[in-house]
Amino acid sequence: MNGSVVKVEEVTKRFAGHTAVERLSIEVPGGGIFGLLGPNGAGKSTTIRMIMNIITPDEGRISVLGGISASRDLSSRIGYLPEERGLYKKMKVVDQLAFFGEAKGIPHRTARTKSGEWLARLGISDWAVKKVEDLSKGMQQKVQFIGALLHEPDLVILDEPFSGLDPVNSQVMKDVVVDLARQGKTILFSTHIMEQAEKMCDRIVIISRGRKVVDGTLAEVKRDFGGRHVALSFTRNADRAARVLADRSLVAKVDDYGATAEVELASPGDPDRLLHTLVQEQVGLARFEVVEASLQSIFIAKVGIEAATAPAKETVRA
Amino acid sequence: MHKIWAVIRREFVERVRTRAFLLSTILFPLFMAAMVVIPGFLMSRSTGTQRLAMVDATSDQLGQRMATSLSAARIGRGEAALPRYVVTRIPAADRAIAVRDSLLPMTGRSRKLEGFEGILVVTDSTVTQGKAEYFGANVASFDDMRELEQTIRPIVIGRRLEGLGVDLDQVMKSVQGIDLVTNKVADGKLTGESGAATFALAYAMGFILYFSLLIFGTQVMNSIVEEKNNRIVEILASSLTPFQMMLGKVVGVGLVALLQIGIWAGAATFFSANQAKILGALGIASSGAMPFTFPAMGPGLLIVFLVFFSLGFLLYAAMYAAVGAMSSTTQDAGQLQMPVMMFVLVGFFSVFALIRDPNGTAAHVLSFVPMLTPFVIPMRYSISPLPMVELLTAIAVTVLGLLAVVWVAARIYRVGILSYGKKASMRDMIRWIRTA
Repeated sequence: MNGSVVKVEEVTKRFAGHTAVERLSIEVPGGGIFGLLGPNGAGKSTTIRMIMNIITPDEGRISVLGGISASRDLSSRIGYLPEERGLYKKMKVVDQLAFFGEAKGIPHRTARTKSGEWLARLGISDWAVKKVEDLSKGMQQKVQFIGALLHEPDLVILDEPFSGLDPVNSQVMKDVVVDLARQGKTILFSTHIMEQAEKMCDRIVIISRGRKVVDGTLAEVKRDFGGRHVALSFTRNADRAARVLADRSLVAKVDDYGATAEVELASPGDPDRLLHTLVQEQVGLARFEVVEASLQSIFIAKVGIEAATAPAKETVRA
Repeated sequence: MHKIWAVIRREFVERVRTRAFLLSTILFPLFMAAMVVIPGFLMSRSTGTQRLAMVDATSDQLGQRMATSLSAARIGRGEAALPRYVVTRIPAADRAIAVRDSLLPMTGRSRKLEGFEGILVVTDSTVTQGKAEYFGANVASFDDMRELEQTIRPIVIGRRLEGLGVDLDQVMKSVQGIDLVTNKVADGKLTGESGAATFALAYAMGFILYFSLLIFGTQVMNSIVEEKNNRIVEILASSLTPFQMMLGKVVGVGLVALLQIGIWAGAATFFSANQAKILGALGIASSGAMPFTFPAMGPGLLIVFLVFFSLGFLLYAAMYAAVGAMSSTTQDAGQLQMPVMMFVLVGFFSVFALIRDPNGTAAHVLSFVPMLTPFVIPMRYSISPLPMVELLTAIAVTVLGLLAVVWVAARIYRVGILSYGKKASMRDMIRWIRTA
């Protein structure tokens, strides 16, 4: 796949009174995992809905898989897991999945076979002929996940796929996503959990209040963020350590977790001097590692205070 | 096209599988059967032959004549009909009260015991003042009392006329009314239907459409509200066009309606054809049962009915779909559906209004109002076949109306299904139609 799979150009979307997305441009290249990151209410779901052509942008252009806007003709090549999860409660799991498959344009029989395979893969085969309402929330989420992937789409768009999942199920789904990427599919997923994005994504975009604040491959983003970072952990004399870290000639910024900390060195940074000082202070260093900035700290730095004052989420989408 | 089929199949299969569908499909014919069987059952039980004591204090032949007339009365018709009364005439001359009192202890007791169900007291004043007395346990039964009255009345009237020197036979002959036997002729052929059967059929067709719209139209509406509420529309909207979603749902539910009505009609036809046998098997004299004839539908009428039923259903169900898309809760939907319901009601009642004059100006005009056509045309056709031109024009008008409604409904639907929270106002709706 050459060029970009999803291209969002200068897109703006306003809802009664506030601007959800403002002049946003995103390019998702073919293959790999693309993370759309941002705090709650940043406009992630609105952007994804526009990409899916569920709502139309007020300004700008969106093209998906080379076509203008994600027209439903392309729906057989796109898998979509919406943020708001919905299933027919009274339907049997396998019937429901077969219907989703058919709605995407694959034949009934194929859809049934595939859903059987997927249910087995995610370990819920026993529930295939149960009604959806009898399933636990986690299982329902798996069913929905299957619904998005059943028709083997080239592009998979997942809106907050891991929210509400326990670590075990989260792991299962992560494995599936990584596996899809390995097969050459393109995955675009949104999340506000940075650790996850950092582990999985090849490229990220961070948006805040409808505007793009960071864009690039994970390596680029980290490099551009700059600074030299040191990850520390110490076992005693935390007050002395804190005093050292407060020295602005050594340390520019501290993200303090008590027993551990991530610090950005003051420029021109010298890790040796910091190490020397810390050893002198006898803080019982357990870890001292020169690292790149974590996505978490980049996110906090870029989105910062804004995140805390994100506008209330609009409920009416007309 | 394949996708629409998927939606239709889902709607149809999931609905037919529900317990509610199964219950209503079975219960309705059972209810119908009960309507036929129970009256017959009750009648053959409660009013068997009654033992009647007649205290005759008349000074002429009146009592005698009444006794004869009462003995001749039969329950129902036919050779096997049981006598209604077994009459014991007791001449009493002027001791009527004493005789009556002596009979009272053996009256109104259990059937197994000797005695009478009732005592009829007739005197000369029965003729002069029109007064007779009856004593019995069944005085509260309107049917029993009316029957008794009707049997003795002509005797009393005849006696009076004789007193005036008029010949009873001649009077009876001269007051004989006429009995207009109605036989329906369609296309130069006798159909074998009576006027009443034709009327019943015209009414039944209107009722079936009305009933289906109220029941199944509301189902379309509510299931859309439900899809909105559990957010399944997001998934649907990403793979199906609003038009596919709406049409699939409306057609799917429409097929369920046709299936159910078909089963009911089949059951009704079966009952009506085998009524005597079924009653016989249950040991009930068919003469006692309410006669039930399911009006037969000619193939022409059946086609006309199905065509207009389908068009009408799609037309109204599309409106119900739009209402569902505009609402966030079933309560909202209940309020917003009022205008649609008004149309359904007007359509249904126009059948009543026009049935008296099915070829008048009003009927002609209303035949070409798309919302009413599906009600009016089958009714008119059942009474007298319409010219092909008129039928085709009516179909064309309805199809045009249908397209217009579907166009508007699909636009409302498209925006409405993805708007949650508040109920759509009239202004919103117009904006949706214009911008969608």
